[in-house]
Amino acid sequence: MSLIVLVEDNPHNARLASRLLRKAGHEVIVAQDGEGGLTAILGSQPDLILVDLGLPDIDGQTVVAVLRQQNHLNQVPILIFTAYPEQTAHEMAQAYRCDGVILKPIDTRYFVGQVDQFLGVRRFE
Amino acid sequence: MNDVASVSADGSTYEAVSTRHYTFVELAEIYNQTRIDYIVPMPMNGRRLEEYAHFYDVHPDASMVIVDENGNPVALGMLGLRGERAWITRLGVLPGQRGHGLGHFLMETLLHTARRYGARRVQLEVIEGNQPAFRLFTRFGFIETRKLLVLRRAPTPVSLGEFAIGETRDMDVEEILETLRNRIQNDPVTASSWLDETESLMNAGSLTGFRLVSTDENEWIIYRSATFQITHIVLKAKTTQTALALLQAMHNRHQSNDTKLENLPVDSPFWAAFQHADYRVEFTRLEMARDL
Repeated sequence: MSLIVLVEDNPHNARLASRLLRKAGHEVIVAQDGEGGLTAILGSQPDLILVDLGLPDIDGQTVVAVLRQQNHLNQVPILIFTAYPEQTAHEMAQAYRCDGVILKPIDTRYFVGQVDQFLGVRRFE
Repeated sequence: MNDVASVSADGSTYEAVSTRHYTFVELAEIYNQTRIDYIVPMPMNGRRLEEYAHFYDVHPDASMVIVDENGNPVALGMLGLRGERAWITRLGVLPGQRGHGLGHFLMETLLHTARRYGARRVQLEVIEGNQPAFRLFTRFGFIETRKLLVLRRAPTPVSLGEFAIGETRDMDVEEILETLRNRIQNDPVTASSWLDETESLMNAGSLTGFRLVSTDENEWIIYRSATFQITHIVLKAKTTQTALALLQAMHNRHQSNDTKLENLPVDSPFWAAFQHADYRVEFTRLEMARDL
């Protein structure tokens, strides 16, 4: 089981994503804004972080920029979780040294697998 | 001014109510609902929207919420006012309420209100690719004036490259304000958008500025330095090289800050300097305007 922090302000997306991840055996902390996300992440030792770019208080990029300066999170994968156009999302991920991108809307068939690949998890049906 | 107009559409009646009757938390909630399916959703909480209204002279009486017969908000549009100029912003209709002519009603109401407040010209921005909004604004006589870039820069180390940073001299608050007041704002290429006009920077506060002293001291940069983030960058430079020197000096001073620059004109002579300094395009806006 891995600890995942999901920073997502859209309640529908947050519910769906956290439900899928919990069902797959992960522990999930949901933060609805950037400040809450930073508090949750800096107060725990997550195994993976999902950050929406459009947050109501602090931009997602700024949240990632702060996280990338925390030495103890150097090895923690940070994924951009966004509805931005794919090319823009990947450019932002590269610029802000994120490990990957998961585009919204969530595809329930692949979402857990997309997350698992960054955790090194292999599932056998 | 309270309810200024009403319209009937599809058998329902809608009214425009000034935003003065709502808290910023309520307005942010309405705004977020209107943007939930946008190309680039930019949600705000109440505090951020209040700050936005303050920075950009958004007038609470001139800005409107459209409500249905039960008083439920279905659309929002805000109006910034500066002398004889007005700026339409944060305009949107809830996804389930579109196609009823509410955007048209909102625009009519805002233009009428702008006239009542003495505006003679109205401007706005629309994200490139938002065709429904672009068509709506075109129908109301707005003409595209230029493209504006929204740029981001992660706090990566600054590479000096081939350009050396000249010696800089910090400006105090008085000099920053004087420099902003004296800058030329009506150049068609380099003119600031509403967000970076002198009024916006003065409202925003937390300004830092410095000059290159290796020249005649007529090359400078002024920006807002807030927690975690640099925003509202305006600069004056004679060449791409000195513009880059100013940007490098700024980023060397704030190496851990994220940077967001909104609405750099795509034809700006400084765009090359921003590119050299690792700024990336997040999205593009179209600026549109019309006379009243």
